[in-house]
Amino acid sequence: MTTRILTPEELALLSLVQDELVPSYGDLPPAGTLGAALTVDAYLAEQPRLRRPVLTTLRAIEVRAGKAPFAELDAGRRVEVLRKVENADPESFSELVKQTYNAYYTRPDIQASLGIDNPPQPLGFELPAFDESRLSRVRAMGKLWRDD
Amino acid sequence: MAAPELDSDVLIVGSGASGAAAAWSLSRGGLRVTCLEQGRWVDPSEYAHSRPDYELARQTSFAKDPNVRGWAADYPINNSGTPIYPLMVNAVGGSTVHWSGHFPRMRPSDFRVRTLDGVADDWPFTYWDLEPYYDLNDSMVGVSGLAGDPANPPRSPRQTPPLAFDAGCEAYLRGLENLGWHWWPCDNALISEPFGENRSPCNCCGPCDIGCPIGAMSSAHVTYWPKALAQGVQLITHARVEQITVDHAGQATGALYYDDHGVRRSHTAGVVVMAANGVGTPRLLLNSTSARFPNGLANNSGVVGAYLMFHPVAFVSGVFEEVVNGQRGPIGGLMNCQEFYETDLARGFVRGFELQLSRSVGPLSVANGGILGHPVPWGSEHHEALRSRYAHTMTTSVMLEDLPEPENRVTLDPELTDAHGIPAPRVEYRAGENTQRMLEFSIARARELFEAAGAVEILVDPLVQESGWHLMGTCRMGDDPERSVINGWGQAHECSNLFVIDGSTFTTSAAVNPTSTIQAVALRCADWLGRNYRDVAA
Repeated sequence: MTTRILTPEELALLSLVQDELVPSYGDLPPAGTLGAALTVDAYLAEQPRLRRPVLTTLRAIEVRAGKAPFAELDAGRRVEVLRKVENADPESFSELVKQTYNAYYTRPDIQASLGIDNPPQPLGFELPAFDESRLSRVRAMGKLWRDD
Repeated sequence: MAAPELDSDVLIVGSGASGAAAAWSLSRGGLRVTCLEQGRWVDPSEYAHSRPDYELARQTSFAKDPNVRGWAADYPINNSGTPIYPLMVNAVGGSTVHWSGHFPRMRPSDFRVRTLDGVADDWPFTYWDLEPYYDLNDSMVGVSGLAGDPANPPRSPRQTPPLAFDAGCEAYLRGLENLGWHWWPCDNALISEPFGENRSPCNCCGPCDIGCPIGAMSSAHVTYWPKALAQGVQLITHARVEQITVDHAGQATGALYYDDHGVRRSHTAGVVVMAANGVGTPRLLLNSTSARFPNGLANNSGVVGAYLMFHPVAFVSGVFEEVVNGQRGPIGGLMNCQEFYETDLARGFVRGFELQLSRSVGPLSVANGGILGHPVPWGSEHHEALRSRYAHTMTTSVMLEDLPEPENRVTLDPELTDAHGIPAPRVEYRAGENTQRMLEFSIARARELFEAAGAVEILVDPLVQESGWHLMGTCRMGDDPERSVINGWGQAHECSNLFVIDGSTFTTSAAVNPTSTIQAVALRCADWLGRNYRDVAA
């Protein structure tokens, strides 16, 4: 698997982190398992301003995990580590979360699970026409503007 | 006509809402008009609406904040001194390229706040003076809506009917009817039926804020520009203006600009018209120093850049148990509630506000906080939380009148520059006490509305950082040269062949979106200039 910014170790760690951020739901696998880390790697390549917060957060997670690698922690301990990292630097952590959401919710399969079959165009949506009869009470309110 | 050796009769700086309207109006009478635009035409293929990752455009290529978007045409803005970030688009069509298209008119009282409420200043003309130009503008751009709103003066029939009325509207209506408050379908610069050439009616796709790929949105590049170009207007894109030049007598002679190859060029004209928005116009005037105008062109009064007004915005979202599908349909164009628009001193403030009853966004934007800054939590609660908000949320914008204060201003940053070395603008702004009291009251009313509508959760962003679309007041109109930059025709008090026609002309801000008024003012000024060109031109 070729990455553009992340090392293979960072990619693997990010993938595990993403599995905690957006866990499985019904038949849907968690975000990391779906490959969201590779998508985030592409974002980092295209938008250099994202690199510092994301890479800083990954390093902080490694440090907080202590002697045992993050991968060897149980689920409860992983979440505990992530909460501590988030509390220490919420701004950087939120960027990692945001990019994970970006990677996850732009997938057609995830959108389909939310009932979205197509992007907004070219089909758009058919919505009911406006019904003027709904305005009868407001029309009866009389002049509400001032010009004196 | 001006002297034939001049490059143009009229040089317009900026091709957005006001520049486009003025270019069309002035060229109708046979004047030779040139417009310098630092941006480019946005290619329809750039719109993201047909891609599954369309919502990413809000964070990247179609971000509202030029400091984030970073197009080559964007200039940096030092916004460290303001809680509200100035937003704009630097392209042909300006900030109408991606916007919500709300197109209300100001009310008669908005032009007379000194007389009626004893605050700020009256405009140098009335609503009734502007009304014919509102009508003309509407007929040019195409507006959806419905005449007959008792909260506003009677107006001409709208070009197309109101936009759709769906489940989210029904949710709002529950609250409004329970409370007995005013509401009316919005006027929108968005056509609901065929209108104009090469445009399709809105198909309710949703994300107007990242542009409109089908031409339903009445943006300046699809309304005025095709007509202006057909009338012979010369539009020069990738033209970054550095300064407005003047002669020894202090009359404007044209502009210096950098072309798309970075070559510094001069363009001469009998009249210069500034249409570069409420940040860009004062920036360029302040940068146009000379022996006659050491503090910037037309700024011996010190008023250029001062009296900056935004519309401070709070967002209040209601989450409903039922599906309201707020992501479907034009994001901004539903209903307005003007129950609290006019002054009632018992509320603890002067002037008023409106509630813009709007829709919502797709799943990615909901996850990242929706229209508000409230991201869906990560971890085990994530999916349920996302599903409780997505397709279940409607968002109201609380938009209030911002009073002009001289301390709120645009200046030139002493260090920051754009890619051509031209000083960048620095924006300093704080919400005044009246505004803060009004914000508190208005948020409470929006909460009340959602409670009455049956929302199960209410989320609030009390002062939205990325809400500085409406850039007003920085070259204000008035009769007093000590307190204003231009007169009621847009003509600078200190430089008779310099005109300003964009949002910076606003004497006061009203509590409605300004684009309809910006264009009406531009048409009124251009109409006068066209009739008086011989007397005005250098």
